[in-house]
Amino acid sequence: MSSMETEKGAVPTPQAPPVAPTDNKYRVVDVILRVLLLAASIASVVLMVTSKQTEIIVSPLGSRPNAAKFQNSPAFIYLVAALSVAGLYSIITALVSLSYMMKPIVAPKLFWILLIHDVLLLGIVAAATGTAGGVGYIGLKGNTHVRWGKICNVYDKFCRHVGASIIVSLFAAVVLVLLVFVNANSLYRRIPKY
Amino acid sequence: MERANNGGLDGIMHKSKEKEGYAIGWLELVLRFLAFLLTLIAAILLGIDKQTKIVPIKISTDLPAFNVPVTAKSSYVSAFVYFVVANSIACAFAALSLALAFMRKGGGKGIIRLIIIVVDLMMIALLFSGIGATGAVGLIGFKGNSHLMWNKVCNVYGKFCHQVMGSLALSLFGAIAFVLLVSLSVSKLYNRA
Repeated sequence: MSSMETEKGAVPTPQAPPVAPTDNKYRVVDVILRVLLLAASIASVVLMVTSKQTEIIVSPLGSRPNAAKFQNSPAFIYLVAALSVAGLYSIITALVSLSYMMKPIVAPKLFWILLIHDVLLLGIVAAATGTAGGVGYIGLKGNTHVRWGKICNVYDKFCRHVGASIIVSLFAAVVLVLLVFVNANSLYRRIPKY
Repeated sequence: MERANNGGLDGIMHKSKEKEGYAIGWLELVLRFLAFLLTLIAAILLGIDKQTKIVPIKISTDLPAFNVPVTAKSSYVSAFVYFVVANSIACAFAALSLALAFMRKGGGKGIIRLIIIVVDLMMIALLFSGIGATGAVGLIGFKGNSHLMWNKVCNVYGKFCHQVMGSLALSLFGAIAFVLLVSLSVSKLYNRA
């Protein structure tokens, strides 16, 4: 342990304890969670983007094909955008975290930066989940008071895709909460105890 | 992790740093109180949102139009109900954590701080999802959605829609207060690590 301390540099900093070997375990968990976040973001975006369904609508004017696609609603467009940002973010931070996994001594600043950004991204992804969930629920059940008809009885494949996309983005939000917990725990364990 | 190499002076310095690190600063108290107040007002504003309009409905051209009172209530839309529930939960937790903060002013175990950070985080997620849901439904009510044949509602119910917008803005500030709270707690942890 003393050799690691002299490795740190000319100025001996009394506040930096040597990293215990079990710290690497949390780095591995962090990288795995970020890869999970990437998978969830990609899955959610792909599910939403491939959800187009065309049906023949019979109306008094005659029957014509009508397509339900995710671009019809700004809520779903926002979900695609937010989850794409989350996917890109997860790639960048997974690489950063991976590069720090090899180092024996990790500065706590890494956890702090990752934490702040994870919190911000959690807000964005949670908003996307809630937004698409609210609109999707109206599409599923309709709203008689406002006279908004349900569409899921006609466009069933579209509704299944959108519903699955929302559930996967909820999973992404949960993964983000776990990530913050892991990083906060790593920060907390760094505190010198007396 | 035990540290063996602290002299007497180091011990005193670290002890005061520990007290300052775990002690609840005035900024955190102000933020918690703000979060409590904002989410409370947001929940109440949307919860009691109700507007009745007299709509003339013509059955046929001979008879004069019937004046039918039509009501718009926030409980008619599931997204608004979810918003009220989410804000109530966040408000209750803000009050609870405010009480906790007052009780453990001097110190307290660090694990409680960790738990409060995680629950703060869940409140952030809850609040933001409620904001997104009411924002989306409010947008549909404001502009309508021609692809899905959902007509706009806000041209008729002006006051209702304005109250929804106000409640939404308040809840957004409450959510930002929670984000600032988490950042503050994390920065305190970082300064001690």
